[in-house]
Amino acid sequence: MAQNVVATNTHKVRVMPPMLRGFLWAGIAFLLLNSITAAIRPDVGHPFFTEVSITIGWVGAVIGWLLGVGAYEGMVLPLFGVTPRVGEATDWRRYFAFATDHKVVGIQYLTSSGCAFILAGGIAMTMRIELASSTMYFFHYSDQYLSAVGVHGAIMMFSVATVALVGGLGNYMVPLMIGAKTSVFSKLSGLGQWLIPAGVLTLAFSPILGYWTTGWRGYEPLGSQDASGIIFYYLGVAALTMSSVIVSLNLVVTIVFNRAPGVTWARLPMFVWGILTVSILNLIWLPEIQMTFILQLLDRLVPLNLFNAAGSVLTQLELFWLFGHPEVYIVVVPAFALWNEIIPVMAQKSLFARSWAVIGLIFVMMLSGLVWAHHMFTNMRNSEMFPFSFFTEMISIPTGFAFMAAIGTLWKSRYRLTTPGLLILMSIFNFLHGGVTGVFLADPPVNLQVHDTMFVVAHFHYTIIGGMVFSWIAAMYYWLPKMSGRMYNEFWGKFLSIWIFIAFNTAFSTMFLVGLEGMNRWVPTYPPYLHPLNLIISIAAWTLGVGFVLHAVHIVWAWKKGPRAPENPWNGHTLEWLTSSPPPQHNFDVTPEVIDGFYNYGDDADPIVANLSELKPKQT
Amino acid sequence: MDLVVFGIVWIIITAVAEWLMHHYVGHNSMYFLLSNQGNITLHAFNFLTTMLIPVFLFVIWFLVFSAIRFHANSPEAKQSRHQFTKNGLFTGVWITASIAVNLLFWLHPTAADLEQMFASQLPSAQRNDLVVDVTARQWEWIFSYPQYHLTQTVNAAGQDELVIPAHKKVQFVLRSYDPFHTYDVEAGVIHSFWVPAFGIKEDVIPGETRYEYIVANRTASYQTNPEVRVQCAEVCGPGHPWMEAPIRIVTASQFHAWVAKQQKMEAASGA
Repeated sequence: MAQNVVATNTHKVRVMPPMLRGFLWAGIAFLLLNSITAAIRPDVGHPFFTEVSITIGWVGAVIGWLLGVGAYEGMVLPLFGVTPRVGEATDWRRYFAFATDHKVVGIQYLTSSGCAFILAGGIAMTMRIELASSTMYFFHYSDQYLSAVGVHGAIMMFSVATVALVGGLGNYMVPLMIGAKTSVFSKLSGLGQWLIPAGVLTLAFSPILGYWTTGWRGYEPLGSQDASGIIFYYLGVAALTMSSVIVSLNLVVTIVFNRAPGVTWARLPMFVWGILTVSILNLIWLPEIQMTFILQLLDRLVPLNLFNAAGSVLTQLELFWLFGHPEVYIVVVPAFALWNEIIPVMAQKSLFARSWAVIGLIFVMMLSGLVWAHHMFTNMRNSEMFPFSFFTEMISIPTGFAFMAAIGTLWKSRYRLTTPGLLILMSIFNFLHGGVTGVFLADPPVNLQVHDTMFVVAHFHYTIIGGMVFSWIAAMYYWLPKMSGRMYNEFWGKFLSIWIFIAFNTAFSTMFLVGLEGMNRWVPTYPPYLHPLNLIISIAAWTLGVGFVLHAVHIVWAWKKGPRAPENPWNGHTLEWLTSSPPPQHNFDVTPEVIDGFYNYGDDADPIVANLSELKPKQT
Repeated sequence: MDLVVFGIVWIIITAVAEWLMHHYVGHNSMYFLLSNQGNITLHAFNFLTTMLIPVFLFVIWFLVFSAIRFHANSPEAKQSRHQFTKNGLFTGVWITASIAVNLLFWLHPTAADLEQMFASQLPSAQRNDLVVDVTARQWEWIFSYPQYHLTQTVNAAGQDELVIPAHKKVQFVLRSYDPFHTYDVEAGVIHSFWVPAFGIKEDVIPGETRYEYIVANRTASYQTNPEVRVQCAEVCGPGHPWMEAPIRIVTASQFHAWVAKQQKMEAASGA
């Protein structure tokens, strides 16, 4: 068996690779708990694997996995006062084990999210293969297609869109940007990361228990009559949301308590504001959806008849969207923050109307809890339509503040159209499409026509891919020199960005049209008159998928082999640029003392840090 | 100078886009609609499009304009010549305009259209021209006509068929249960009754009875336009993609002939 050699302070210890041990412990725990459940179950003659035993076995498997990857040495042994035989590795192996350094955790999260993005994107590619024809020819049964829709949606939502900017870039950048040496609950983030592979694998393999057809929303009573695979949907989402909850807790506490002297609320960087607001949203709404899915799971296992015709069908819908709408702002609020983080740097121009941009983030956060039922206009009493359409339309006002700050900063600037700069403009362009079509959806009469059609699918892909994923890629290029010390290739970066921009807009603007022409969602087949447009979408979607993979290849190449980057290639003013790249273990040798805001440019801008000379001297 | 160029081009492209929208898209209709409710939807859609074109083009044109006019010629970090962090006029106009536009949209089309829609649903507005009981089961739409004692109407191929007369107010009574289930007729899931050409859909939920009112304003059928079909719009299991039924919208005399034929068929089959 492959064995790692981990250097400790005194001697070398041979240990099993943590991920391998995690798999092993997970398997043992699953079999153990499953067997116990099967043994004590009163009815004789039931099969060895039942829904109940698998559920309990799964809980054991996740705990075994977390302990196996290193939480045993990192969290359990210290709890009992035992000093573990081995500490955290210091070489490349630390990326493959439980870690507490927020930068390592951030990179682990980015890797997990990136892999999940490619996986769930690949599933979307199979859907587009099927939809390239109006008849079934790729999938054998429609529930296979519907399972693909559900797995794609759930993985993308809970392990990419919610995670990449918060668990990934948030963990890595937030402590650096506020001048902190560590995050406060560093073990929590370290643990949260390892829930991501557990949740993604659970979701990806959910069809082995049977195809489930509800899509990522898990509507009842359909969910309760689906095959057992839906249990892995509830459980996988539970693991993924728990990851985001504990990461958010760590980030909120870090932002509140670990800011360097002088990093006041009025000076807090935009991206940190974005992470703070989104983390608060996570802390409020993710426990709500976890409870809902636990109820649905119990409803199925016991069974309870909570959400069928004997109970209340609509309650499950309300509970889902009560979380579901804040979720879309969980996705996109950090993207808004990234626009106004990167634009002033690329423009070398002071951020316009910063306080309005922050107010926008906060009001979006607050209003997002008041609009959920606009996903249910086809389900509500007439009297409810007025308030929900009202708040839905009003939320575009604080959303507009992010646009206002970006536009004011760009005006009369000298904007550097580097790859991140270009991608940020593309992200604004794309999100605008999502926002404008959202105004149509906020109007109930129009909504009642286009709800549940491909128009809505195009709308939310514009906000999530167009807004969040484009910003994510922009931020990866922007901070690549910081995280790796290396630079990407500007030609390939721009070329691939234009590639995904054209492919994305071709695919999803056409998707608006098929929706308007009467194509409903969740169908592997459709009437033949919709075929030409669907063929265009499929070709463009495949082009988009290839473009994303090439971006990933380019970023990984640059990370490993790119040319050495200067210390502060963009001349950014935020604190992460004041330390070496990649930053040392405790970020800053001397805690910076901040005396001015981070977004003031121009010849007469005041110095930002008082003790600049004490901070690590710039390498050449 | 930048402001003048930006503004003039913005006005020109907005005017061109509005002209295109009203001469082509607006008249050809975004989608095929043939009901009173569909007219409300289409007018709302076109009104919103008209109002949003300037907003949309403002931002799009701004991004393009910035990339052309304000891009730096070298990747070197050079401070922008103009540095400002506030502009009361711009911020004030932006915020006021966004509040005003959103309030406008809520009043019109939203509130105005909903008032029309709700009015057509009031009990006092019912003439009971035609009542159609629509039963959604997995996976079939069943249409019954209680006024004509028809329990399940089918076409010559034996498929469920919805036939309604044009210009009459039709009340659809929507329920989700399974009358053919062997032991649990209350077993059912959420479906959504959607006829794309009607411009409205309503979810059909187990345990609830819901109503939808439609006046079709011309004759049509699935053969003349594929958007004249009943389509389940809410995922309801593996049969969801095929949960559809053709519709025929016919004249009053054709409708009565069809009813007579259906009654004869049902009598013959002993239903």
